[in-house]
Amino acid sequence: MSTGDVRRVVVVGNGIAGVTAADTLREAGFDGDLTVVGDEPHAAYSRPALSKALLREGDDMTTHRLPPAGHGAQELLGVRATGLDLERRLVHLDDGTALPYDRVVLATGSRARRLSALPDELTLRGLDDALLLRSRLADHPSVVVVGGGPLGMEIASGCLSGGCRVTLVSQGAPLSRQLGPYLAGVFLEAALGQGLTVVETASARIEGAEGTTRVVLDDGMVLEAETILSAVGDVPNTEWLGDTGLTAGGLVSVDSRCLVRPEIAAVGDLAIFPTSRGPRRIPLWSSAIEQAKVAARALLLGEQAPPLEFQPYFWTEQFGLSLKAVGDLPLEGEPEYVDGGPGGPALMRWTHADGTGVAAALNHRTPIPRLRRMTRAAA
Amino acid sequence: MRIDLDRPRCEGHGLCEEAAPQLMHLDDEGELVLDQEEVGEADAALAQAAVRVCPVAALRIA
Repeated sequence: MSTGDVRRVVVVGNGIAGVTAADTLREAGFDGDLTVVGDEPHAAYSRPALSKALLREGDDMTTHRLPPAGHGAQELLGVRATGLDLERRLVHLDDGTALPYDRVVLATGSRARRLSALPDELTLRGLDDALLLRSRLADHPSVVVVGGGPLGMEIASGCLSGGCRVTLVSQGAPLSRQLGPYLAGVFLEAALGQGLTVVETASARIEGAEGTTRVVLDDGMVLEAETILSAVGDVPNTEWLGDTGLTAGGLVSVDSRCLVRPEIAAVGDLAIFPTSRGPRRIPLWSSAIEQAKVAARALLLGEQAPPLEFQPYFWTEQFGLSLKAVGDLPLEGEPEYVDGGPGGPALMRWTHADGTGVAAALNHRTPIPRLRRMTRAAA
Repeated sequence: MRIDLDRPRCEGHGLCEEAAPQLMHLDDEGELVLDQEEVGEADAALAQAAVRVCPVAALRIA
């Protein structure tokens, strides 16, 4: 296949979005110069594994390891992009060099949002973060986790199963904002049953100094622990796009083919793309992969490339529960049980007001294609 | 090349099946079945794609 006048492609970002874009460019026939820039010194890894298997004591430290890249690109690791020159089509790097491109993929992802600049506030976003937390857990410290989303809950679960005393601070009931009240209730019951202490608060801050760092809640309550970790969302890594005009509110808006302009794609956690429910950012593993596949083909083929048709797939493992869900979360009301029932392994279905369906498997080993079919049956 | 499955590690997400339905599928119990363990050159990219999307690194190319 001819890929026309495209001779040089630069992929900025070596997470699953960047790697998938690079792989897909090759699959689609691009045989020119391909460069992947990654700010971490590590090869690409599985981020979902960091807060799940990697925190478990017995894990052999390989579940996050992806197979070696097959795209044969020049990989510049430990190098950060500092600027994009749209006119001259250059990606500027922090080592002072610049990479020329005919097409570029913006896939620099996001970083953990922090509540303080204190070094004792741990976060979990990258591999180094996970390895640090894992080494801390070896001493079974007391732990306060600030953040009741899926990441905070997974971390709390990992710390608890590692033998730590764990307090989780959450705005509202944990997971309710992400999953809806029904599933959040199921997870909370399991968490409390395993000994998690949950403190609900309107807001929390982290203050103090090195060695005396503590969590202070809006009512003045103070929580102290040997390890303090926050999981309070993420911040897109788009500062390097500075004055290009490609960002709004820190995010990059793309079209249905994940393109910002014909020669620029944006994929993964920094991108907002059109969905049936309006423009959305969906920072999930499968979302990054699907966006990257579409974007790579669109960079080569333009409007002849297929647009993104994405149905979210979300999973979490915590407190002995494994949830897999296809469709848009959160969920209102109670599910229809397709198999099993409350308190045990279950296959569940919800229908949103707009007619779209959601299918979820809780401790129920179900092929994802079946879940996808179930969402259509509900619609 | 050959595809190796680390079965205890597989969580049945099925993203590999979505990437390479010609090579593998999840059965009714959600267990992964490799329909082709030996993969020829023609399907090498497909196999790579399937291995790559696994979030728990349960698949490997040997």
